[in-house]
Amino acid sequence: MSLLEIQNLNVRFGGKDAIPVVEGLDLTIDQGEVLAIVGESGSGKSVTMMSVMGLIEAPGEVTANRLNFAGQDLLKLKGRARRQLIGKDLSMVFQDPMTALNPSYTVGYQIEEVIHQHLGLRGREARQRALQLLERVEIPGAASRLSAYPHQLSGGMSQRVAIAMAIAAEPKLLIADEPTTALDVTIQAQIMDLLLNLQRDEGMALILITHDLAVVAETAQRVCVMYAGQAVETGVVPDIFQAPKHPYTEALLAAIPEHSLGERLSTLPGIVPGRYDRPKGCLLSPRCPYAQPRCLERPALEPYTHNGISGSVRCFFPRNLNPEQWPEVLPESQRPSHLPGEAHGRA
Amino acid sequence: MAAPDLNTNAAKPADSVLTARALTRHYHVSRGMFKGQATVRALNGVSFDLVPGKTLAVVGESGCGKSTLARALTLIEEPSSGSLSIGGHEVSGASAAVRKQLRRDVQMVFQNPYASLNPRQKIGDQLAEPLVINTNLSRSERRDRVQAMMQQVGLRPEHYQRYPHMFSGGQRQRIAVARAMMLNPKVLVADEPTSALDVSIQAQVLNLFMDLQQEFQTAYVFISHNLSVVRHIADDVMVMYLGCTAEKGPRDALFEKPLHPYTQMLLSATPSLQPDTSKPRIKVQGELPNPLDPPPGCVFHRRCPYATERCKTEVPVLRDVDNRQVACHYAENFL
Repeated sequence: MSLLEIQNLNVRFGGKDAIPVVEGLDLTIDQGEVLAIVGESGSGKSVTMMSVMGLIEAPGEVTANRLNFAGQDLLKLKGRARRQLIGKDLSMVFQDPMTALNPSYTVGYQIEEVIHQHLGLRGREARQRALQLLERVEIPGAASRLSAYPHQLSGGMSQRVAIAMAIAAEPKLLIADEPTTALDVTIQAQIMDLLLNLQRDEGMALILITHDLAVVAETAQRVCVMYAGQAVETGVVPDIFQAPKHPYTEALLAAIPEHSLGERLSTLPGIVPGRYDRPKGCLLSPRCPYAQPRCLERPALEPYTHNGISGSVRCFFPRNLNPEQWPEVLPESQRPSHLPGEAHGRA
Repeated sequence: MAAPDLNTNAAKPADSVLTARALTRHYHVSRGMFKGQATVRALNGVSFDLVPGKTLAVVGESGCGKSTLARALTLIEEPSSGSLSIGGHEVSGASAAVRKQLRRDVQMVFQNPYASLNPRQKIGDQLAEPLVINTNLSRSERRDRVQAMMQQVGLRPEHYQRYPHMFSGGQRQRIAVARAMMLNPKVLVADEPTSALDVSIQAQVLNLFMDLQQEFQTAYVFISHNLSVVRHIADDVMVMYLGCTAEKGPRDALFEKPLHPYTQMLLSATPSLQPDTSKPRIKVQGELPNPLDPPPGCVFHRRCPYATERCKTEVPVLRDVDNRQVACHYAENFL
């Protein structure tokens, strides 16, 4: 049984007829697995994880056929039972460590609070455990840092403290939402090493939300690519980087300036559709160089197995899969057009 | 590497549009009532030349003096010492009229396009403002120039009447680039221009930078902490650490064979789409030291895996090694 099982997750803000921010998302993660969720801003990756953590409040509305964590239904769990689970078996590290910590309390107090809540330890025992945690996240001079306030720490150190708080109760699943985006590249390498070491040693599952594909290539085992609220492709590393199946994954990879030494980067025209200009068929089709008349229908996320590697892709004409079925690439004028809207950028 | 680069008379390329020699900027900060003032050496003797149509990328961690350098180059702040000449005119001691002229020649693009545009002014008016201040063009001439530049950066004529909130982040950064290019500057300083953007939008903006450079032969100073972006866009790279130059030279030399341990560490820490598992990653140690209390000797020695006794006392000078300049006593060992 999977540790976390999400089936047909929908998140809406503002009423039944509002356009979903996350639409029909299916996702599973097993014990001890590293899964990355990638996508651009507004693709719904953070909202997905916030709904797992129960952080979506009215007017936000979360519905799902299944939202199970370790056998418990997260949607039915309320009040005390929920608080006992969240932060203990299921915890989260946020993007900006400076705002994740409370500026008015010492680092030691904030970690001890978690230990008291979830492990029931107090006083010297709690302090001892907090010290161990700070040493676990490799903070130099841990004993003296217990009485430090967050403003006395650098960004990297604060993120280490936030991680210490998240792993205080030995969670089964740690969700890290852009944990290194606010940090320098050298510190990013340190934090990613730390997260992976913890994941390996404690055998916990790790969900990494990021927009940085290179970080994903170096850390994750499985990847879910999101676009405009939908999962468009899931696959394993490194296959998904070597042979992406969805045109969007392919375009994202091509846009990264690595080994491109001064050549023009290939780009998708336009931007991610917003809530008022959602195309009716495939959400990528107005920007997709391979769009066909059929793309005016909405594709489903279909599983595939190719050369022994399985994954799933939401596209009628996936790349790097059955090339004999690929239709001819149409000139721009013959591709289907949904809206003449400029936001789709086919200017 | 803390040694200021005193080689102020170094030969400069004949066509240099901007020459910096031993550029220094110190800040004096108060440490409370009973302690004396402390000095932060934000920029500690940096020298380089900019050539038309070429890009110098400046890389380093936060706090290494990248943005102080940008402010000194754009004449927002006066350097504490050192010389800066733009188009052959020395900046220090220049009259107000000359400075005004020089400011036209060095323009800047900022990191956050949400903060760098005035939310209450139409795009057309914002783009025309540099022309209002610096030229005697008539209203209709200004409008023509703005429309031409908007087309150049991929904005449509109807965008002229719109406000910044009606644009996406990528479009706003295009507007900011267009505004910086309105006066056809000799030098464009871009401070982390793509770090607030998504990767596909970043690619569009990087393409725009390269197209404009080809068209106008502007010299770029491209400040970034993203080494894959730097490798893509730069001709020359300058790696800074705590206000000093650690290594400076042609892009390919630095990326293929970094000679300073700090450059090696930065490259090793940068994640790659095709991770090379055969090469062990250099374990990144520690964080940037407190700039109020920089270490003696080589400022990098506490994080350097190769540091010796000599590094703790003797400040390495920036010297020529293998086609680039390095501030490390043992640079030859890495050849």
